[in-house]
Amino acid sequence: MNLQPEDFWSFYEWLLRPEAFLESALLQGVVLIVLSIVVGLVFGYVISAARYGPSEGFYAVARAVRDLLRFDLPGTRLRRVMALARLAFKEAIRRKVLFVIGLFVVGLLLAGWFLDPNSSDPARLYISFVLTGTNYLVLALALFISAFSLPSDIESKRIYTIVTKPVRATEIVLGRMLGFIGVGTMILVPMGLVSYVFVTRGLRHTHVEVADVREVGDQLQGETDYVRSHSHEFTVDAEGQGITDVVRGHRHAVVRNADGGFTIGPPEGNLRARIPDYGDVVFYDRRGEEKEVGLNVGDEELSGGFRSSGISRVIGVTRGPKKLEHGYVEGGTLCAAVFTFDDVTPERFPDGIPLDLTIRAFRTHKGDIESTLRGSLALKHPGKDIETNPIVFEVNEYEVDERLLELEREGSDGDETRTLNVFEDLVDEDGRLQVVIRCVDRGQYLGVTKSSVYLRPGESSFRWNLTKAYISIWLQMTMVIAFGVMFSTFLSGPVAMIATAVCVLLGFSAEQIYDTRHYLDEGIDRGGGPIESVVRLLRQDSVTTELDVDALASKVIKTADAGIVYSLDAVATALPNLPKMVSTSEFAASGFDILGALLARHAAATLGYCLLAFLVSYFFLKSREIAA
Amino acid sequence: MNLKSAFGRKIVYLGVLVAMLVPLFLLGQPAAGIGDSGGQLAEMRNRFNIAESDLGEISPASETMKLASLGLRGVAATLLWNKAHDFGVRHEWDRLKATLNNIALLQPHFDRVWEFQAWNLAYNVSSEFDDYRQRYHMVGEGTDYLTRGVRQNRKASRLVWYTGWFYGQKLGMSDEKKQFRELFAEDDVAHEDLLEEGIAVDSPEALGPLGNPDNWLVGRLWLNRGYDLVDSGVKIRRQTPINFFETGPKWRFKHAEAIEQEGVLDERAQNAWELASEDWAGLGNRSIPVTAPFTIKLDQMDELVRQKEEKDEQFRELVDDATEQVIQELVASLPEDQRNVMDVPDEQLTPQQQAKKRTAIAVTRPTRAAVARATDPAVRLRAITLAGEIEDLEARINKTNGYRKQINYPYWKTLAIAEQEERTVRARRLIFEAEKANADAELDKAIALYEEAFEIWAEIFDDYPILIIDDTAEDLRDSIGRYAAVIDSNEFDDDFPLKTFIEIMGGDGPPDPEVYEMVRETQKEKLEQRRREREAEEKRLAEEAEAQAAKKKAAKKKAAEEKAAEEKAAAEKAAAEKAAEEKAAEMRAADDADAGDSEPGDSEAGDSEPGVEEKETDGDGSADDAGELEEVGEVTPAGEDASP
Repeated sequence: MNLQPEDFWSFYEWLLRPEAFLESALLQGVVLIVLSIVVGLVFGYVISAARYGPSEGFYAVARAVRDLLRFDLPGTRLRRVMALARLAFKEAIRRKVLFVIGLFVVGLLLAGWFLDPNSSDPARLYISFVLTGTNYLVLALALFISAFSLPSDIESKRIYTIVTKPVRATEIVLGRMLGFIGVGTMILVPMGLVSYVFVTRGLRHTHVEVADVREVGDQLQGETDYVRSHSHEFTVDAEGQGITDVVRGHRHAVVRNADGGFTIGPPEGNLRARIPDYGDVVFYDRRGEEKEVGLNVGDEELSGGFRSSGISRVIGVTRGPKKLEHGYVEGGTLCAAVFTFDDVTPERFPDGIPLDLTIRAFRTHKGDIESTLRGSLALKHPGKDIETNPIVFEVNEYEVDERLLELEREGSDGDETRTLNVFEDLVDEDGRLQVVIRCVDRGQYLGVTKSSVYLRPGESSFRWNLTKAYISIWLQMTMVIAFGVMFSTFLSGPVAMIATAVCVLLGFSAEQIYDTRHYLDEGIDRGGGPIESVVRLLRQDSVTTELDVDALASKVIKTADAGIVYSLDAVATALPNLPKMVSTSEFAASGFDILGALLARHAAATLGYCLLAFLVSYFFLKSREIAA
Repeated sequence: MNLKSAFGRKIVYLGVLVAMLVPLFLLGQPAAGIGDSGGQLAEMRNRFNIAESDLGEISPASETMKLASLGLRGVAATLLWNKAHDFGVRHEWDRLKATLNNIALLQPHFDRVWEFQAWNLAYNVSSEFDDYRQRYHMVGEGTDYLTRGVRQNRKASRLVWYTGWFYGQKLGMSDEKKQFRELFAEDDVAHEDLLEEGIAVDSPEALGPLGNPDNWLVGRLWLNRGYDLVDSGVKIRRQTPINFFETGPKWRFKHAEAIEQEGVLDERAQNAWELASEDWAGLGNRSIPVTAPFTIKLDQMDELVRQKEEKDEQFRELVDDATEQVIQELVASLPEDQRNVMDVPDEQLTPQQQAKKRTAIAVTRPTRAAVARATDPAVRLRAITLAGEIEDLEARINKTNGYRKQINYPYWKTLAIAEQEERTVRARRLIFEAEKANADAELDKAIALYEEAFEIWAEIFDDYPILIIDDTAEDLRDSIGRYAAVIDSNEFDDDFPLKTFIEIMGGDGPPDPEVYEMVRETQKEKLEQRRREREAEEKRLAEEAEAQAAKKKAAKKKAAEEKAAEEKAAAEKAAAEKAAEEKAAEMRAADDADAGDSEPGDSEAGDSEPGVEEKETDGDGSADDAGELEEVGEVTPAGEDASP
């Protein structure tokens, strides 16, 4: 899992961005709400003025605002909201939305056809399958139930039976939203349970037989049978207890029976939730000088990386993508990657320093084919010249290499060589500790990114992690329902649904829009905006050639494109960051605990958007009441 | 809008629907069985053999996926391709694989997809791993992917070929070929899958010298499956037939080379080369379609040339002096200035005049057709037919020659012959051992082995100069380099056996193409010469063996006679003794001792025979060597001439 800069922010950092307030989520939210209010008022006035004349129109708008603040908001009663929510809930159930669960189950039953049985990490595949499946299904469901309800009520005049009762527009909107959220939740919970069963059952397997058992010293070594495209090697000690090696992310306990046979337990360790404690990384180049990034070995760059800049990117203060790529260190030189970890205390790490590594290897020459590249790691004091002797390890690419470093190690303190204690000699007064990663093989490279090396102070339970992933899905669903209800207050059902879908899709393709804008801003030829792209497509021109039309047409196309791209950019920035929320499932699938800060951010963003949708819905409903 | 008009409209809609259903039914009606060919689409499907069941194994997952994309299959496939690329950039190999599976479900009969993505896995993705075992695993993923492609596309001969290519080329020619070949030989799971696929990895055809499946031979079995497919009438698509057919026999060569490199330097290697030679001969006798309206056989060159000469002769006899007549007519038709320069020697002409002369000569060269038309009307028809036949033969010779050059046919043929010889295998073994001794710092031993090997190599190169463009030659050059380091001298005496070889090989690059071309031309007669030598040798050996057998028989007979005589003598003696027992009791012991002495003498004679035979065999061997050396003596000057 390759994490990006914003993944490491705490909730506070995300909300306020202490050193770059322009990028902060708070500013973005406030700007969005203020803009909507201003646009809403102006729009409302224009409509009212057209209906009632300039002065009456003004009063009408002012009345609506006064009503909200003076009567509707304070007068909103939970009892009525709940009654309306119940209605919406019943209505949705009557529309047989529960069939979605059946659809999901059918999807799971057929999943075996599409999931690769030879995957090297089946747990990841299974978990991301169920989470992605649930996610898209639930979003689609939210889209349908939320967009059609109000318009059909209004069209069939059923709404009169409600608005003639003493209920307020706020209550109608809130009631709908809560009702649909209730339905969504009711669907999401069984889906979560089914998913859990699917994942655990799907990964469960047993090895029955053993082969090639031989005695090595007082131990027994052997191999299990070949089940589900893999087998394990195992070692059993003199007491008959043993364990297999890790294959496809799991291992089994092996027990030697009294009759000489072996019992192999169920798979262990494939459903995990590691709690990582990330540090900051700096690189040192060949001459030993500090650099922000490591060496580039020519890997293709990842796409995207604009989103985290928020408003500051829209107004052009921040330019270009911000992303973490793997930085490489060269072997046999002064190159190194140094990770600094905070809060390294004996209370958190009483038995040693649990350190996980996921390091990439890159060869510039064949070297010794049969052995993998070697790296070394050493613990270092952040301020002083105290460092343990390097621990040489073989790089285990694309797998999490879990290590427990002892608290006492041989090392050098200046010119003196002695036994060093981690907490006494290597951790500074602020509780910081450095881990130095180097490549041992000359002329070869090791690649790391900030998330490649972390301390693992603990482990969360998989169930709770899966629940958190579902909470993230629930938040997305809530957001989509809020948008659906909002659009349905002033658009007809199908149009409201399309509008919501467009918002969702724009949210998903925001990075591409930012990317296009970036190229326009920087004058990089990448095929231009939408019109230019169509022209190029039709003419079958390459993206890097000059647009082959006459000068005036080119000018018109480029200007129109710029207008479209900048507007789309503004709209996409205003929309929720759904891809980020969807990618939360990645944590659960990769066996990492979903960071609390991440979930809190998503919750805060959801609340903000719901509030916005609520306000907009209220005014539109109010305007329709007036019109009626 | 009243009720009636609404009803009327519905009826109209219904009518239109039904009307549209009729052509749809006619077009799409499925074939129900015998005598019913179904609708137009079903007929076309039959005609072009593109029904799902004709194309390959039916995959329900694939069908579901296609249906589930609701007609947006193209869009879905494009998105998946993008995703696959993205996963590649992120090094998410597991997901990349999962995406590739989904792409294959959407586009199961687009064979480029299988090809491209299998390549992606086996070549691009595998090289991203640092651990060679993971690399091997990824290559396996690539071949598995291709195998699935083959299952789903029964008639994609190119996919079958490609699979065979992967098994050979990727596993056998990568940097880590040693490890890959070992891993493959031990990969029971892959072997089982291959067996299920109908590739007989347990047959002698697939087993290497150590009794395990060999990647080159398994690749060859795949390729053979492709050849069977093509022989059964499936077309070769997106590939030239020569390239398609050449690979299978080539894999035998590669197999032989590989096992020799791994140190199998005995009759097993010889056997591998013999089989390679057989396969290559098979290729030579295969009818190969070319870019002309006829097929060729690579090994038919001599026959074609012979036929052409024969027909040429007939033609000459038939047209008699018509050629001269046509030439004169052509000369007469030339402008005067051209005619004038025709007989003047070049040195007396200006460059312009020389050009004119060349044109004139070219123009006045008569075509066979022109000559045939000018012959006596009585034989004209026959002459024209002959001229046509000769031209056809020329075209065939031209094509055959071109294709032979394209795949270097004569080189491989010679290589297989040269490598089958015991001395070649011996030379390789000596180099192998010399390198080992060198690595173990046993320098004296290494030098002796090197020198012995070089002697043999010199003979081999003299007989098969074409081998200087072989990898062997490059390896040998490296060995000479190491030998030079061991003897601590870069100067070689004139009597150094590989002196010429070093001169031809020159610097680091491959040998001079001109030298090569010359070598190629001279190789044919050398080959013939060598064949004659070997035949003579074999004959001589056979004669000697016969003579020896006769000698042996005679010796045996003699021994038997002697023995019989002795036995007789002993019996007589014993009888005499018995008779004279009482008389000569004191002499018995001495007599017995005499008889006892004679018996070991017999057995000695018996023992000596194999010894004599062995000695004689050795003698033959050395005699051969001496003979070869003499021939080398004759050939070497030619080799020296060849050096620039």
